[in-house]
Amino acid sequence: MMFTTPMKHIIAVVLDHDSDNVAKELISQGLLHFMSIRELHSPWRDKVQDVVPDTSGARIAEIKKRIESLLSITGTSVSKKDLDIEKLKPLDIDRTEKLLDDISGSIQGYRDRQKQFQQEILKLRDIKRQVNLFGDIGEGIKIHSAYSFLSIQTGSVPSSKAGDLSLAMKELPSVIIKLQEIDQHTHLLVISMKKDDSRVNRIFEQSGWLDMEITGDMQGVKEDVIGDLDVKCAVLEKEQDDLDKQAKSLIQDRTGELLDLWEICRLNELYSRVKSYFSKTARTILFSGFIPASKQKVLEESVKKITAQRCYLEWSNPVDRVKENIPSSEIPVELKNPKILSPFRMLVQNYAIPEYGSIDPTPFVAVAYFCMFGLMFGDVGQGIILVLCGIIGSLIYKSKDKGLFELSQLIIWCGISAIIFGILFGSYFGVALFKPVWFNYHGIITEHARGTGFVKDVYGILALTIYFGILVIGVGLIINCINLVAKRRWFSLFMDKGGLVGTWMYGAGVYTGWYFATHGYKELPNGYFLLFALGLPTFFFFFKAPIKFIKRKIHDPSISFTPLVPVDFFIEWFVELMEIVGGYLANTLSFMRVAGLGIAHVSLMFAFMKMAESAGTIAAIPILIFGNGLVIFLEGLSAGIQSLRLNYYEFFSKYFTGTGKAYSPVSLHSD
Amino acid sequence: MASPVKKYGFINAKLRTRISKILDDEFMTRLARAHTLVEAIQLFKETRFSGIETVYTKTGDLKMVELELLKYEINLYVEIEKYVTDNVLSFVRVLASRYEVDNLKNIIRLWFDKIIRKRDIQDALLYIYGERIHYDLHRDQILSAENMIQIAEILKDTPYAEIIQKTREEVEKRRSLFALETELDVYYYKMLIAEVDKLEKSDRAIARRIVGVEIDLKNINLIVRFKNLYDLPLLDALKYLLPYGHSVDKQVLSDVYASQDVAGVLKSFVQKQYSGLDALLTTQSTESYSRLILIERVLDQIMMYEVQKILLGNPFTIGIILVYFIRKRNEIRKIITILNAKYYKITDDRIMGRI
Repeated sequence: MMFTTPMKHIIAVVLDHDSDNVAKELISQGLLHFMSIRELHSPWRDKVQDVVPDTSGARIAEIKKRIESLLSITGTSVSKKDLDIEKLKPLDIDRTEKLLDDISGSIQGYRDRQKQFQQEILKLRDIKRQVNLFGDIGEGIKIHSAYSFLSIQTGSVPSSKAGDLSLAMKELPSVIIKLQEIDQHTHLLVISMKKDDSRVNRIFEQSGWLDMEITGDMQGVKEDVIGDLDVKCAVLEKEQDDLDKQAKSLIQDRTGELLDLWEICRLNELYSRVKSYFSKTARTILFSGFIPASKQKVLEESVKKITAQRCYLEWSNPVDRVKENIPSSEIPVELKNPKILSPFRMLVQNYAIPEYGSIDPTPFVAVAYFCMFGLMFGDVGQGIILVLCGIIGSLIYKSKDKGLFELSQLIIWCGISAIIFGILFGSYFGVALFKPVWFNYHGIITEHARGTGFVKDVYGILALTIYFGILVIGVGLIINCINLVAKRRWFSLFMDKGGLVGTWMYGAGVYTGWYFATHGYKELPNGYFLLFALGLPTFFFFFKAPIKFIKRKIHDPSISFTPLVPVDFFIEWFVELMEIVGGYLANTLSFMRVAGLGIAHVSLMFAFMKMAESAGTIAAIPILIFGNGLVIFLEGLSAGIQSLRLNYYEFFSKYFTGTGKAYSPVSLHSD
Repeated sequence: MASPVKKYGFINAKLRTRISKILDDEFMTRLARAHTLVEAIQLFKETRFSGIETVYTKTGDLKMVELELLKYEINLYVEIEKYVTDNVLSFVRVLASRYEVDNLKNIIRLWFDKIIRKRDIQDALLYIYGERIHYDLHRDQILSAENMIQIAEILKDTPYAEIIQKTREEVEKRRSLFALETELDVYYYKMLIAEVDKLEKSDRAIARRIVGVEIDLKNINLIVRFKNLYDLPLLDALKYLLPYGHSVDKQVLSDVYASQDVAGVLKSFVQKQYSGLDALLTTQSTESYSRLILIERVLDQIMMYEVQKILLGNPFTIGIILVYFIRKRNEIRKIITILNAKYYKITDDRIMGRI
């Protein structure tokens, strides 16, 4: 847990006829992070050839995407959870592509029919729009719709033919309103589009239509017309919806088949990917990769079992492989820590993947982030709200979005931190309901109470955060020294600004600063101490550049010692000292933002409390709800971001080398 | 007077975020590579354009999708108007009037088809944008007009009446809307330049350049089309070109028109103004359609080059607003092009070549 997971490197040789089973087993286990054998500087490198997979990976991937796309029409998503390697079988690519083309074509057919209905709907809507332009229909008839595309006619047909006329007119975008019935003749109002006049006239002729002027009141007819149009539009929209449902049910009927095909595609894709890492000789297959050391036995036994012992497996420590010219950045890194810390692991991985063999920063980030957030946002009530938000977010995103799920988990952590620090500071929605366990943050800021211990006033809070910063930076330097020892980088361990001499100087600087502050800002520690604590490391640092030069010269004798080289030594020494003094001072003081944000949090709550007090009991409630909401959102966001910033820039800069590559084995669940 | 930081600080942050979310080339490639229109439409489901999928699955009508995208595009301007004030607000409003001018052109084209060419326009009419932008365009009345005098009368409360009156004779004489459409463009750019001149110095320089480059590109496009598709005399062709260009003067355009080697003339222009982009013109194409596409692509690249320059420059200027509109227009145009290409079953390679 302390360091990144130890890895083992494997070079395996199996017989050609076992290679299919071995590939399946490797996918099934999902443990091997592959590395092509041709990337190794080994004698085999030039004696082997790449294996060309039988199936076209690109076409299979394309088919897989097409299936996903078609399934998404019904909102069906695919899952990698229940994949079974035993279902791997060759895919008939041409047949599958034809099937998908057919399904797609059928759906396009439904869409084309929907389009026809849409055009009818648009025409009816256009009629409605134009009818709406008239004050009433009578007016429309009188002006004969000069500015309109509508043809509005009134007339009568024998009542026995009225039904036939309505039926025939259904083919056209039109409205027929029955006005009255006199002497077995039905008086009608017909609205159609001018462009359809010739067809309408033909229908009229067949129905015995007689033009006539309607003299009666036309009030209310417009509403009937619009009502009729709305009904027609609704019917057509329903037709469209039905077609959409039919398109969806076409997919639903084939969902099982499509999911099976998707699974076969996925398995073939993985199989092709694994095979692409294989190299071959005349009768053997070779592959290589990395695996967590704890899984070595599992893999070894299964490969031996699959091949009936007819295999050769060469295991080595990846660090030894580095000597054989595998770049250390090629060794995959797995951060293995308890699941509960996964939100903090996400923070680390968002920054970069640490170098193989270094300390896993996740637990340290967890503690530092937790404390920083609490110091800035200590309030029990607001913490509970954060926890609830985090729980709701977790429930919503658990199976939907890993990133948002982990962010929700982080919010739960932030809420817990706020609750614990709220108890320490005695803050409950900005009110001191219970006595603080540590010191009264609100009381100190609003000058209603004195603090306890060394946190008596605002300066005490500032000092507290500086001590906290010193602790964080100190831990960072210690981690860096441990990392350098683990990597056997002795020169860096002693001479880097983050190494022993740098740590020595930082410690001495902190002590000197503390001594100066506690002696009324008038007195420094005695000269011998300063000479030993600050002078000596400064002196050591002077040798860093010359030693580096000598090391380079040994490596490359062509480098010459010119008169300018000592000047370079001096400048390098001076610049590094400036960097150490300025950098460490700035890094430490940067932690005062923790106090700044904490004070802002208390001040904002105090301001809302005052507003609530002066507003009276009824108005106080919404003010306090709004105030707390605003503080939770704004201050929560600020505290979260600042905690992240302090971790990334002040803490990580002391020890983090983000040159690692994430361990990503080819497995049934991998991307 | 508000400082540039105060004036553009918020909108700069907002628009940069939005620009970063514009669908990238990778998405457009996936869209172009989708096997069918049905599958292409599904790709929008997880994007900010999920409305495309909703409209298409409900109506099956690609033209409705286009109309939806046009509404979306116009709304971008309305939305930005909320975040700007004074001269910048007036400038953005004039930018939005581009859509009104285009809409009026579409309506008059339909009228022209109906009255002059005697075509049925009823179906095309259904997809005309019907909302008011700045003026009521009275589309039903225009489409029922018998002549241009009536159209001018219908639009008497708008600045377009005068333009219609001015170009009426030529339209009737040539039986072509070129003159009217060019005058409408001139009107739009004249208004735009007038608003540009009211901006503060640093904004003015940027806006002048971008508007000028846009006019240059439009003129090059027009002149190349005149040469390839119409047989207009040089003087007539030059007459239809727009003023206020940035670096393409009449001489360059005359050279383009007169030369047998259009790509060569353009290449020397691009070499002078945009060294680095001229490599795009080295591809030889004998087919005039392909040559047109090639030239259009180069012109697009020139605009993108200008956009990139603004993005890398001072963030607190009107440039970010212009860049946003240009990039969004480009994004929407690409979507429409690809979806139509999918509808007509055009191959991926040809689509990729077109965008």
